[in-house]
Amino acid sequence: MTVSLSTPAATAIPGAAAAVRAEKLTKAIDDKTILKDINLDISAGRYVALLGANGAGKTTLLKILATLVAPSGGVLKLFGQTVRRDSIHIRSRLGLIGHGAMLYRDLSARENLVFFGRLYGVADAPGRAAELLKFVDLAPRANDPVKTFSRGMMQRVSIARALMHNPDLLLADEPFSGLDAPSCRMLEEMLSRLHGQGKTVVLANHEISQSLRLAEQAVVLRKGRVVLDEPASSLDPAAVLAEVSAR
Amino acid sequence: MKRSLQQIALLVAKDLRIEARGKQTVGLVIVLGVLIIVVLGMGLGTGGPGAPMSGFKSTAILWVAYLFGGVLCFEKTMAVERQDDALAGLLVAPLDRGALYIAKLLSNLTLMFVLALVVTPVAILLFRFDLSTHPWGFVIVMALGMTGFAAIGTLFAAAVSSTRLQGGLLALLVFPLSLPVVHASTQMMRKMFEEGEALSGGGLATLLAFDLMFLALSWFVFELVLEP
Repeated sequence: MTVSLSTPAATAIPGAAAAVRAEKLTKAIDDKTILKDINLDISAGRYVALLGANGAGKTTLLKILATLVAPSGGVLKLFGQTVRRDSIHIRSRLGLIGHGAMLYRDLSARENLVFFGRLYGVADAPGRAAELLKFVDLAPRANDPVKTFSRGMMQRVSIARALMHNPDLLLADEPFSGLDAPSCRMLEEMLSRLHGQGKTVVLANHEISQSLRLAEQAVVLRKGRVVLDEPASSLDPAAVLAEVSAR
Repeated sequence: MKRSLQQIALLVAKDLRIEARGKQTVGLVIVLGVLIIVVLGMGLGTGGPGAPMSGFKSTAILWVAYLFGGVLCFEKTMAVERQDDALAGLLVAPLDRGALYIAKLLSNLTLMFVLALVVTPVAILLFRFDLSTHPWGFVIVMALGMTGFAAIGTLFAAAVSSTRLQGGLLALLVFPLSLPVVHASTQMMRKMFEEGEALSGGGLATLLAFDLMFLALSWFVFELVLEP
């Protein structure tokens, strides 16, 4: 299926403006250091896999990139603009798919999407919602409350929610967890399609082979530090696994 | 500014729509409010046939019902945001945190006013207290008191919603902090219904000052207590 995502972002061009630039990002909670001196450069239009064991700091890093959590130190620039706590305008260019669906269970899929669309100031939120419900193959269930959906269906609505405002940077935090094989395949296709349309995708994932197959760039975190940042095609899953699980 | 007002309207409409679907919060707070009035009324004595309860005592009992019902409202409207991590969806949107606070406050106040609309007539019938001496004084003082209480409650509901203690902790935090508002309100009620005085401008100014102070502080601090 083709879906028009209104104004596609620029496609990936080597040396193009960075969608994400992190310099010496650190995050400490109480006395525990979660992230330490993270340097990251993701050019616009790239598909990046963020890999690491549990507790490596993937979710915290994604939350910082999503402006949900402020770093304790360092500088984060998204689309060339330094992120501050009140960076409202930058948020309108971000889409986030998280562990939770970020939906209201008592509202229908359509109501959820229209609500979030209007929150972002989308001109024709009902039209956009209908378009995206088709995209995620849920148009027939558009008016059903989300609480009646399976995990896979909720995840698809969640993707539609994240795309309502046509974001330039899509951050996905383990979106495959808990999904069955067909739903995983569908989600993989969706993310690849979005990347094909010029979106920058950052995918935090446990599955190394799957991530290397999907992404162009792989970043491995271990104990809050970046230990590997290479083109995905040049990496061997066994070597990445060794990096992920090294102590 | 216009954008923020639109977003506030959207958020309140969303909260009320969710409440209208489930009717969980309103149903619960109304049952709780009526129970409080009946139990306290029985404990303090309704005065027996032909002997109405004093207006001051009746309004004090009503305050207890509003306060406990209010805490439930604050908790429930925030719980909706915690379910399925919906709050993160709001926080990642281009939405000012202050607008989110105002929206939650308005949703809570709406639910509290619905509670008052149902529970107050029940108390009037049960206690046979004469509201006709100061009907507008009663409405104004209660509305201002509830606003101050909700201002603090909305802030702390957001702060404790990510903890496991929630209900108990919220009540422990909100009740002592809202004492100035409750005290100012009950003193005005006593003057109106027990001493027969008119609604005093000085008392209203005090109540309004507490409201503004609580609103400003909570609005300012709200962003800092939000943790997705």
